[in-house]
Amino acid sequence: MNYFVGIDIGSTAIKVSVTDENKRLVGSKINASGSMFYKYAKETLQSLLDELHISQNDIAYTVATGYGRKLFKEADENISEITANAIGAQEAAREYGEIKTIINIGGQDSKAISLDNEGNVVNFAMNDRCAAGTGKFLDVVAMNLEIGVDELGEYHFKSTGTPLSISSTCAVFAESEIIGLLGNNHSVEDIVAGVHYSIAKRIVKLVKRVGIKENIYFDGGPALNTGLVHAIENELGKKIFVPKYPQITTSFGAAVLACDAFRTMPLSEQ
Amino acid sequence: MTDNIKHTIETPKQKQNRHKAMEAVKVLNMIKEEFKEPPKAMNYFYDLFERVYCKQEPLHADKVKVGTMCIQIPSEIIYALDGVPLRLCNGFYTDDEIGSDLMPSKSCPLVKATVGHLASGNFSDKPDIIFSPTTCDQKTKAGAIVENFGYEVMDVDFPRTKESEESREYWRRSVRKFSHDLSHSLGKKLTKKNLQASIQKIGYAQTLYHKLNDLRKNRFVPILGKDMLMVTNAFFFDRIDNWITAVEELLEEIEQRAKNQLHAGGKISPRIVYTGSPPIFPNYKIPLIIEQSDAIIVADETCSSNRMFNDRVSVDEWFLNDMVDSIADKYLKGCTCPIFTKNNDRIRRIIDLVKSYHADGVIYQAFAGCQVYEMEQRSVLAAMEKEGIAILYIESDYSPSQQGQLTTRVEAFIESLKNRRRMKR
Repeated sequence: MNYFVGIDIGSTAIKVSVTDENKRLVGSKINASGSMFYKYAKETLQSLLDELHISQNDIAYTVATGYGRKLFKEADENISEITANAIGAQEAAREYGEIKTIINIGGQDSKAISLDNEGNVVNFAMNDRCAAGTGKFLDVVAMNLEIGVDELGEYHFKSTGTPLSISSTCAVFAESEIIGLLGNNHSVEDIVAGVHYSIAKRIVKLVKRVGIKENIYFDGGPALNTGLVHAIENELGKKIFVPKYPQITTSFGAAVLACDAFRTMPLSEQ
Repeated sequence: MTDNIKHTIETPKQKQNRHKAMEAVKVLNMIKEEFKEPPKAMNYFYDLFERVYCKQEPLHADKVKVGTMCIQIPSEIIYALDGVPLRLCNGFYTDDEIGSDLMPSKSCPLVKATVGHLASGNFSDKPDIIFSPTTCDQKTKAGAIVENFGYEVMDVDFPRTKESEESREYWRRSVRKFSHDLSHSLGKKLTKKNLQASIQKIGYAQTLYHKLNDLRKNRFVPILGKDMLMVTNAFFFDRIDNWITAVEELLEEIEQRAKNQLHAGGKISPRIVYTGSPPIFPNYKIPLIIEQSDAIIVADETCSSNRMFNDRVSVDEWFLNDMVDSIADKYLKGCTCPIFTKNNDRIRRIIDLVKSYHADGVIYQAFAGCQVYEMEQRSVLAAMEKEGIAILYIESDYSPSQQGQLTTRVEAFIESLKNRRRMKR
């Protein structure tokens, strides 16, 4: 049996996905990128293969993607995370419907990708300059509020007042704003909701640049945050689809691409 | 798929209301929390803005609401005919963004926000009829745009020269026509009695404002400019009797504060006269930056505040026609809006304010796109220079983004005023 590997080396986490010949996800693993991307990427892949009892020899094709993709020399091919994300999203949402727009919020960037009827990337937009309003920002916010990142969604839905907007989605300036709000005894719930809406407004502006077409797919770690999902849906005025494992869409896409690449190779080279 | 079915998506109206509530709450929190303890009587105003802008509470369900596109529509006549004047000039960035799709991108944010608000139709008190004076170009055209959204809009001709006898007569005729039109559409008759009563009521409101304002001349300023702005801004939409009661209470408290020599500012806070495009809630961006940078706004020359209360109707004889003409005169002669060909009155007034309120400097804000204020900047700056009055000119809009840069400029100006003071000593 041939297996295919997609490995997504991001700024914050390394994601590895393995599929079978039918592009079905067999397993996946997520680890922090840490300081040594290459070493951790190799280790993450190996430990996933061990868990799945798959030997290196059964890996027919490997595609690397993500911001550290070029560091992973073992890959047969590497592609940009935009293409991988588009392929992964369509495959993951196959049963839900055709995806035309992708919102991706990563550790230190955010993207909006627009697809045509054939699923090709026609346009995309990325946040410029800094990590404003990304996963890192949510980390900082949670830390300031002394709650876990995974609790943000819960707090969001408990907000009863007007969400308290944060003018700056810059992690550094937002920190002082949040401390100011806490100092004036505002509720953590309203602050969390305000933070989510601030990010949502920003991301919706990004999406508007590429055009909003349904269906809309939302992935990346922050998509696990139901409060943020809620805020983005409200700002868009539309439902968005969040996959079961939003963190691995891009690595899954790379694995799917690996599968296709292998299939189209001349038999002699396979 | 995560469980995101349990929540429903907001309707566009709910979304707008949330956006506006978020804008309002942010500014209200700043006003309430980031300054020395405000007067207790200000709570009425803080609550009022919260009720209207965060909870969309209607205040005038029982009355006919007469929307006015500008300060130039005489409230005295509207009250006399048992209507409620609602000043539609708007300060929300949310509405500015809606209006941006309907007007050229370089238009004035105030006009865009006003048009955007009317386009959204999202009102706690929706105007039943709108009067649009032909003051500045953008407002003149806005009236016609707004008509397309299904509002009944009536133009009120306003002259662009102030000194001539022709324009005086022209405007008097416009005001007579306005009172006739309004009387017709409200089905009420303007009488000597009801007009006299409303002139006196508004006159009393103006007296309260002047009494309050006079205390800002003191060395120890008992009330900050940000609170005064809320008081005057509330006059745009509040029930006038409630407003009068609340200001009476505030005045009592401020008089007490003045007696106790309570100072709302810091030890060497420079005193500022604020002029230019009107700050309207929640766009208190520049006034808040000024007062957060350790200065005090002691007086202003804007149509959202001082100009609304400054001049009173002076009636020679209490005949109906005489009263209507006197009202017209007040609105023309008292107006220092830069739409006029020449506007020396405005310069005189600013200099007078600087002197009588012992101000250290002037801050002049023009909204980017508010052409007339942008154009008049040069003559005002030159006049101030001649008088030796320090002045800072700032251009800004409704977007929340430029905060940092604006703060630096205002801070540097205020620091230079402090230095001047130290040098004098």
